[in-house]
Parts: sequence; C-alpha cells; structure tokens
Amino acid sequence: MTLQILVDGLIAGAMIGLGAVGITLTYSILRFANFAHGELISWGAYLALAVSSGIGFLSASLTVPLAPFSFGWSLPLGTLVAIALTALLALIVDAVLFGPLRRRRGAVIILVMASFGAALTLRSLLEFIFTSGPRYFTQELQIAIRLGGGARATPDQMLVIAVAALVVVGVHLLLTRSSIGRSMRAVSENQQLAGVAGIDVRAVVRIVWILGAALACIAGVMAGLLVQIRPQMGLDLLLPLFAAAILGGIGSVPGAMLAGLIVGIGEALTVRYVGAEWRAALSFVVLVAILLVRPQGLFGKADR
Amino acid sequence: MSEAAPVLATKSLVSGYERDLPIVRGVDMAVGAGEFVVLLGPNGAGKSTLVKTIAGLVPVHSGTVTLGSREITALPAHLKVRHGLAFVPQTENIFASLTIHENLQVAANILPRERRAERIGAQYAMFPDLAARPGQRAGALSGGQRQMLAVARALIVEPSVLILDEPSAGLSPKIVGDVFERLSEINRQGVTTILVEQNVRAALAIGSRALILVEGRIAHEGSAAALLDDPIVAELYLGARQAGGAAA
Ligand SMILES: Nc1ncnc2c1ncn2[C@@H]1O[C@H](COP(=O)(O)OP(=O)(O)O)[C@@H](O)[C@H]1O
Ligand SMILES: [Mg+2]
Repeated sequence: MTLQILVDGLIAGAMIGLGAVGITLTYSILRFANFAHGELISWGAYLALAVSSGIGFLSASLTVPLAPFSFGWSLPLGTLVAIALTALLALIVDAVLFGPLRRRRGAVIILVMASFGAALTLRSLLEFIFTSGPRYFTQELQIAIRLGGGARATPDQMLVIAVAALVVVGVHLLLTRSSIGRSMRAVSENQQLAGVAGIDVRAVVRIVWILGAALACIAGVMAGLLVQIRPQMGLDLLLPLFAAAILGGIGSVPGAMLAGLIVGIGEALTVRYVGAEWRAALSFVVLVAILLVRPQGLFGKADR
Repeated sequence: MSEAAPVLATKSLVSGYERDLPIVRGVDMAVGAGEFVVLLGPNGAGKSTLVKTIAGLVPVHSGTVTLGSREITALPAHLKVRHGLAFVPQTENIFASLTIHENLQVAANILPRERRAERIGAQYAMFPDLAARPGQRAGALSGGQRQMLAVARALIVEPSVLILDEPSAGLSPKIVGDVFERLSEINRQGVTTILVEQNVRAALAIGSRALILVEGRIAHEGSAAALLDDPIVAELYLGARQAGGAAA
C-alpha cells in the first residue's frame, strides 16, 4: 500500500517535474513568472489530440495500439507535430505580447499580468474550439503490471516516467554541455554582457520559448494520456509546477525534476493520509515553506 | 589626433538611458589606428555612458558612431563585436556562474568553428593564471583575475578596437600595474585601445593621448604629457585626484 503511494507519486511527479523544467528555464531567462505556461501545456495536449486524430483518420492502422501501450503510432507522431505547433504558438504570443513589453522595458509585474491575460485568452480559445468536456487520447483499457511489494503501474505510466527521465537528462546535457546551453546560461546571468560577448540575445530568447513550449507539450500529452484532456488541465497544474520550480531553485533543471517528484509524492501522501480535497493545498504549503525557509530553493544560488 | 583616417569615430553623439534625458551631449572623437587613448573625467561625467553607447548598450538620440569605414551607430551590441569592436564593461564584466573556460567559449562562439580552440589557446598563453584553472567558476576569482578574464574574453575575437571601462577599480596598486602592463602589451600588438580611468596619473603614464569628459562633453583633449602640464587641467581634474592617485 505504501509502495503504491510512492509509485503514484513518482508518476504524477514525473509529469510535474517536466512542466517545472519548462517553467524554470523560461523564468531564469525571461525573468518573469509566466502564468501562461499552464495553457501551453493544455494547448500542447489538444494540438496532439487534434493532429493524432487527423493522422488516425487518414490511416486507421496507425491507431492500432502498440502493445503493451494503449495508443498507436498516431500519438507519438501527432506529439511531434504538436511540439512544433506549440512552439509556434509560444513564439507568436511572445512576438505580439511579451516582446513589445520587454522592448518598452516594462516592469516585471506588467509582464506577469500580461501572462495572466494570455492564459485567460488561450484557455477561453480552447473551450471555444474544443468545448470544456473531457477528451481522451485513447479509450483502451490497460492492465496494470505488478511491480512487487503490492505496487502496480500501467505500461503507459511507466513509459511516462521513462520519457520524463530521458527528456530531463537531455535538457540538462543541452544546458551544461552545448554551446546553445552556455549561451542560455550567459543570457540568464547578464543580458547586456551577453550582447557584448557576441550573443544574439533575441535569438536565445526565441530558443528558450521553443524549448519551454516543447516541454509543456510533452507534459500536456503525458497528463492527457494518464488522466484526461481538459481546457483547465494546465491551470490545475500551475501551482504544483511553480512549487516545484521554486523548490528546485530557479534555473536548475535537475532541481526542478527532483522537486517535481517531491511534490508528486507529497500530493500522493496528502491524498492518502489527509484527504483528496487537500491535494492542491500541498503545493501551496510547499511554496510558502520554501519561500520562508530557503527562497533560493534546493539547488539555487543564494546570491541570485 | 592621428593623421590617418580614424578607426573609431563619433560625430555629435548624443545618447542617454531615457529619451528626454541626454547624458552624452554631443561628443566628437576620433581614434586613430593603434592609438592608446585615455578617457578621463569626474564621477558622473558620462564616461561609462559614452563607451556603453559606442558598444551598443545605450540608445543613441542623435549623431553617429563609425568603425573603420562602416557606420555602426544603430547596430545591436552583438553585431558590433562581429565588426571588431570589443568592450569590457565597468562592473559585472564576466559571467560569474560560468567557468573560466565557458566564459571564453561563449565569446569564441561567433568565430568560425575551426578557429575557436586556437583563439582560446592564445588567451591561455597570454594569461597563464587563467590557464591554470580553466574549470573554476569565474565568480570565485580574485579581482585581478576577473579583470584578466574580462580582457581575455574581449580579445578572443581579435578586435581592432578594445574599450575598457575602469578595469583598475577596486584592485590593489600592484595588480593595477599588472593589468596596465598587459594593456600596453596588447596595444603594442596593434589593438587600438580606449581606456576609461579614474586613476589619472597612472592612466596618463600608459596612454598616448587623453580626452577629458565633463558633463557629457569633451572639455579638454591633448597628449598625455601636455595634459599633465596644463595648469587648468591639473587644477581641475588632476589636483583633486592626486591624493587618490597616489593612494591607489
Ligand atoms: N543605467 C542607468 N540608467 C539611468 N541613468 C544612469 C544609468 N547609469 C548611469 N546613469 C546616469 O548617467 C550619468 C553619467 O553616469 P556614468 O556614465 O556612469 O558616469 P561616469 O562613468 O563618468 O562616472 C549619471 O548622472 C548617472 O546617474
Ligand atoms: Mg563609470
């Protein structure tokens, strides 16, 4: 029973961690809390749903489940296209909304408020286009596999954990080992000096949006696969995502992932021992506690 | 002023952080190839603003900046570097969260791939202190080492013009001597150098020519020796600072 809580927490935590990695990246480079990140998650899920349904419509054979998983090739293919479309959406929002505000050297609070507006608009658009009823990538039922110790998980759930781990390792390597990662860290520390050092800061900002949107889309597909797709899904994830990003230390990719797992397991424990209605409160408690005790987070630098 | 066409020139340059508040108020300057020019002036005169404007970090209100035969007034900072203009800011002039090697790699990124390692190697050869600890976080370096790293970072791209904003600030006299010695060496290798300094006597000792900026305008200009002898200049800008200069 206790082991099952851990497994459930890990599965939710993998999803939260992935979303939090996107938040931590955009926050550390764009320097504002983007409350529309949740809507990139929802849009990612709906775009993947739309494209994979389209693919399935063109070729029914691509919807045949890839045993032992519950979905066919149409979902991974649709996700790839959806990643590109979500990135495009983020770039458009930046070009029409955040970019002009940045150029006017708007205060951070203005950017944050603008992101609230963007979130509201993007969410309403989803409800308008797809209605607010829940959708599913697949209607297949899955048999949970025994993991030992009485714990069970479905193949889809295990896939989510594996993909989240791979993506996080990939992003971490990109950030620490590649030249674009170095440029991103340089821009995150000092934009003026980055310009003087020859870095095209605006290009780096675009890359960060693309990366953040890609991570949001993947997180959205995971949430849609494990739970359901709703216009509110991103909004519901927002508090846990920010709790994890801040707990991990803004800018730290491994920190965000680890903190995501902590929040996920914390939620599972809360549901089990306190009550399901308290699940959302856990993130809030984590957020307040970390801001009071260690505002720089687990892996953040105290001097920032 | 040099006879040949200047490498770097400004014409009636007016700039500032806000639209209706010019800080640099009509600066005409011309720096010839290979010159070592010192930019002096009281605190708040606008020296940093002037060099930041030239580097592309402060909005130009009117006037022009030319590098060689090219007008670069409105180019963003990252493109000015590509045209051979290197700038070392007064503060926060290294990436503290990156290692020494990463600082150099970031700057080398605009070079063709095959030249990067060679250019980074050249900096290590010139600054053995940096070569001894490439993996160290730049934030952990001493003041002198930081300035060396900042200069090395700027030199990676083999600039034609190097502008430094008070690299001696906060350093001990011995270290300042080291830094200035390096700067003359770099200048002797043909890099046109513009040095903003508070430490007037030390600066005039290495610079060939000096400009004195007062309230956003060039108030005096002349050879280092002539400025040292000029009684007005000496009284206005050097006398007051003599004590500071001796102490530094
Ligand atoms: N980032 C900034 N934003 C607005 N005003 C500034 C900024 N930096 C400097 N200033 C103002 O510009 C004027 C000149 O400053 P500065 O160029 O730093 O002088 P100096 O380098 O000669 O000491 C000062 O009045 C200063 O207050
Ligand atoms: Mg200054």
